[in-house]
Amino acid sequence: MNKRDIAAAAAILGAFGAGACYLGPGPERFWINWLVWTLMLLSAGLGALFLTGVEHLSGARWSVPLRRCAERVSDLVVPGSAALLAALLSLPVLYPWARPGGAPRLAPELRAAWLNVPFFSLRTAVCAGLWLLCWRILAGGSRRQDRSRDPALTLRARRWAAVYMAVLGFSLLFVAYDWIVSLEPEWYSDVIGVYLFAGAFLSGVAASSLVVARLLRAGRLPGVRFDHVYSLGAWLFAFTVFWSYIAFAQYLLMWYANLPEEVFWYKQRTQGPWQAAALALAALHFLIPFFALLPVDAKGDLPGLRRCALIVLAAQFLDLYWLIFPAVCPRPVFSWPEACFALLFMGAAALWLRRSLGRDADMPVGDPFLKDGLEFRL
Amino acid sequence: MPEARLFGVAGIFGEPCRLLEAVARLKASGWERLQAYTPYPVRGLEGALDVKRSPLAGTVLAMALAGTALAWLMQWWMNGVDYPTVVGGKDPRSWQALVPIMFEVMVLFSCLTAALGMLFLFNRLPRFGHPVLEAGLGRFTTRDKFALVVEAGAAAFDAEAARRALREAGAETLMNIPVPAPAFVGLRGLLRLAAAGGALAAAGGAGMYWLIKLWPVLPPMSHMLVQPRLDAQMSSAFFADGRGMRPPAEGSVARGRLAEALVSSRTAAGLAAPLPVTPAVLMAGRRAFERTCVVCHGPVADGTSLLTPAYGAVPANLQARKFLAYSDGMIYERILRGHNAMPGYAWALDDDRRWAVVRYLRALQRAQHAKESDLP
Ligand code: HEC
Repeated sequence: MNKRDIAAAAAILGAFGAGACYLGPGPERFWINWLVWTLMLLSAGLGALFLTGVEHLSGARWSVPLRRCAERVSDLVVPGSAALLAALLSLPVLYPWARPGGAPRLAPELRAAWLNVPFFSLRTAVCAGLWLLCWRILAGGSRRQDRSRDPALTLRARRWAAVYMAVLGFSLLFVAYDWIVSLEPEWYSDVIGVYLFAGAFLSGVAASSLVVARLLRAGRLPGVRFDHVYSLGAWLFAFTVFWSYIAFAQYLLMWYANLPEEVFWYKQRTQGPWQAAALALAALHFLIPFFALLPVDAKGDLPGLRRCALIVLAAQFLDLYWLIFPAVCPRPVFSWPEACFALLFMGAAALWLRRSLGRDADMPVGDPFLKDGLEFRL
Repeated sequence: MPEARLFGVAGIFGEPCRLLEAVARLKASGWERLQAYTPYPVRGLEGALDVKRSPLAGTVLAMALAGTALAWLMQWWMNGVDYPTVVGGKDPRSWQALVPIMFEVMVLFSCLTAALGMLFLFNRLPRFGHPVLEAGLGRFTTRDKFALVVEAGAAAFDAEAARRALREAGAETLMNIPVPAPAFVGLRGLLRLAAAGGALAAAGGAGMYWLIKLWPVLPPMSHMLVQPRLDAQMSSAFFADGRGMRPPAEGSVARGRLAEALVSSRTAAGLAAPLPVTPAVLMAGRRAFERTCVVCHGPVADGTSLLTPAYGAVPANLQARKFLAYSDGMIYERILRGHNAMPGYAWALDDDRRWAVVRYLRALQRAQHAKESDLP
């Protein structure tokens, strides 16, 4: 039984478990898990696409040999978008504003202008459409270049990278407000979009690092050296701090201002049964990766980087779980439905990634800057 | 012409990888005392030259942690223990509020440590010069060239061999680095330096002075200065009627002012002193009497005033028969409201003190009119 079969078996087992969850513990438990894992896929996919985009835009050379790894992770945008569209079915189950008589304190103008099912679905569909478009042009164009060797594709990618920056900025803001904040529509935070972006980019870099580590160990990235790995580790390190800064800024402001319409959200998540999750988040999302990646050599040490990437991905899952679950669960739950969803989505993501691992080149062989990238030295 | 004594020989390279190769080659052929000079850190150079890991990184980390801890301790002590301040209903010892300062002090400590470490560990202060700089190697190595210097050291040094080795290792250019003549700064030079420094400081000071004189309207942070406020005897913009505060509502009595509101000259006569005659009460009365009444009525209340005649009025001799006959309540009412030329002293004494003064005044009167039977 090879790894592919294991992934397939996990996905199938998970799918049965998820189905049982819908029938047993109920649709609410089903959809809340679905939402967390959908956003997890989208975080990694959109974050990895952001990594390729920001490198196109800045004309980075070091990253060219590693870009295909990020592009492969960005393939997760496809199942992620599909899962998000499917999640529209969850609106009446999870979202109080979508239920008749739900969220009574919500201003009716807000409901009429923004939080109504048709407009919500439209926003989601537009976001998903734009993501897929950018993904096709950035990640798909790069693969087309493998065969055509057309340098014009590099220029096109650079222009579209700028478009994708803007698209990602706005769409993550919508995802944050629509899919996360409106679970408890009384709450709001100006910085939640940036918060979600920081986590997404971090998980994109982490997932790409995992692919890099795997291919490097298999000898499939000839010419990639410490210098490249180090630069990837530096991204991970930098954005660990960025996420922590944003997360703490949001917390400190709300804690200080102590406004009832803001602070209830944090009270629920940092005191009582959810406190342990908040503390674990601080450790996994900041303390451990920060100190693990602090020494110079650690950023380029492949096994260490791999461990940090795993921790960061776990932290991103915990983050989404901690953002979303308390809206319906007064205390943390982690039982067989959660485990089955983990199997389902991780297995499916692994299958999806393996598909591209076997299909196209491991480096963007058509990129005119590949040689420059391989010669890169710190 | 004999060569000047050499500090070493430098080979200049165009590429960092050339430099690394040259280091390896020279090492292999037994050259020691190699130093490299590069415009930016070249990875792998430390390893090639066997440079020991600098302790600076660890020191910076330790100082950063120390700064964080110190900032926490300082705020915890000042805000939480020594002078607890409750801001916004928060526990004065809440850790959340301390984090920004902890972060700042962490940054401050690490930057200072790194900067001082650079100056003292790497630049070797108090050393002010280096033969390599005197020879002008910096012209290359601070731009786009990489230099490898074979230093002469104390033992016999074959400069020709070093040059050959560097050329064979691929150096583009060679450069001799002489030992510079010892620089000597004489007394006159020092004096000039001091004079120049003094002049500079004086010019700076004078410049600042006149700058501020000529453009005084540059308050650094005026938003607290320029705001509506209450000035004595001035109308303010706070309320439409120009007052700065609201007068108390009709019929309201301020806390602790009930006696003033209720006592009148008619009702006062019947009031009985609520305090017992005890040494503590008499002592309190004496203290208050001496502080408030003695200037006018004299130490034994017989009207021998300490004031000059300019005061104009004659304070009453409270030992006079008339006042011996006053009831306690009447004296109390005089303290409260005053009488003719005597102002009221309600503002100076709280109710307990007023009655204590009455008790003490009674004791003074009895002492001045002591009878035989009063003797023990
Ligand atoms: C600023 C000077 C001054 C001070 C201080 C002062 N007095 Fe007098 N007091 C006077 C003068 C003047 C009179 C005479 C008033 C009159 O009858 O015109 C007087 C009168 C009196 C009288 C008699 C009032 C009456 O009914 O004729 C009493 C009782 C008295 N003072 C008590 C006190 C006591 C007790 C204190 C201390 C709390 C005190 N005074 C402080 C100036 C002073």
